[in-house]
Amino acid sequence: MPAPAATYERIVYKNPSEHHYMKVCLEFQDRGVGLNAAQFKQLLISALKDLFGEVDAALPLDVLTYEEKSLSAILRICSSGLVKLWSSLTLLGSYKGKKCAFRVIQVSPFLLALSGNSRELVLD
Amino acid sequence: MATLCRLREVPRHLLVCEKSNFGHDKSRHRHIVETHYHNYRVSFLIPECGLLSKELKDLVMEFGPYYSVKDLPLHELITHEFINAFVKKGSCYALTYNTNIDEDNAAALLPNGKLILSLDKDTYEETGLQGRPSRYSGRKVMKFSAEESALMSYFSSYRIQEHRPEVALRTAADLQCPVLRGGELGGQPEAACSAQELFDWLGAVFSHAELNNEPSNFLSSYCCPQPSTVVARASLCTVTGFILPEKICLLLEQLCHYFDEPKLAPWVTLSVQGFADSPVSWRESEHGFRQGGEHLYNFVIFNNRDYWLQMAVGANDDCPP
Repeated sequence: MPAPAATYERIVYKNPSEHHYMKVCLEFQDRGVGLNAAQFKQLLISALKDLFGEVDAALPLDVLTYEEKSLSAILRICSSGLVKLWSSLTLLGSYKGKKCAFRVIQVSPFLLALSGNSRELVLD
Repeated sequence: MATLCRLREVPRHLLVCEKSNFGHDKSRHRHIVETHYHNYRVSFLIPECGLLSKELKDLVMEFGPYYSVKDLPLHELITHEFINAFVKKGSCYALTYNTNIDEDNAAALLPNGKLILSLDKDTYEETGLQGRPSRYSGRKVMKFSAEESALMSYFSSYRIQEHRPEVALRTAADLQCPVLRGGELGGQPEAACSAQELFDWLGAVFSHAELNNEPSNFLSSYCCPQPSTVVARASLCTVTGFILPEKICLLLEQLCHYFDEPKLAPWVTLSVQGFADSPVSWRESEHGFRQGGEHLYNFVIFNNRDYWLQMAVGANDDCPP
């Protein structure tokens, strides 16, 4: 016997996301500097450690995607750690003596929102 | 102490999850799609499908052109000729291009004929118009969607260009998909995943994230929500551009018809993302950027015509309708 049609139900969740997602890109002043995924994650951890210490360096942080060619990644951080991670990335100025900066391209509590960026639409 | 608490805060965001059935008289699926005017990205996912049907492929390829007009003065949109030629016919949408809603002046034309202007204080005072302050605090390039060749000839004295939405098709092999039950929006422990978990998982799939990490993995511990099954193949399609709600309605209908014949897939999904810099989200609800400017929705269409609808917005948005 087929299941009956679903009855209407609506749930509104306020601040449901336990995680926030960031699309970031690492830019070096000089060309030719490469990092693999593990080195990239290590850099994020050391940025957190430099600003906030050992405890916050252990915040649950995932590198969901990483592209070595463009040094860009999608990160996942617990929502309570977003401000700490973002500020650590902002204040990171160098890697192995080479000047660099993190560019935060997109931030959202919804990962699906990061799969497209309407500000990147090019019409020319 | 207050500073420490503020370090752990994030801007408010909302996720509305609904379930219903397409056969219900009061089902709001059409209304939600039709009143979300400025759509940048539409994607759908069909598990257990290696090749899209001809109908779906043709539909996606015929999403229709949109147009950009450079250096268009806004007063051209309120002339009698423009209103008679395009606005009164309905289905005319426009949005300023390359204007950040949180920094620049922006404008949008809605299909009901309303012109929404989002202006900074100086420009607002110069216009002498009566408006209301934004709840959240040019001669520009505008992008349009309206009747085809008519627009090209109407704006022939300006630099008008036609654009086609970009279509990307791919097939994923051995994809881990969450197990869902149409009647259980909140999921069931060890039996079905929740709407929220499905929403996150979809983001991971379309971002090309690894779905099967070991807990000890240094880089990422993200995993597909459980319970899950592995499907041999899944078709994913993404269309980006300036996409009309009417076309999205057709796509939704076509995806409902996917289950007219028996299929292995238990469900399919359709996700739509709005322009981050649109001054409105649904209907005339003011939309702001704040941290991400997200306003998106997703349908999960089950094989018995039940559906889930998730609508997500950020801090500078009203609750979705």
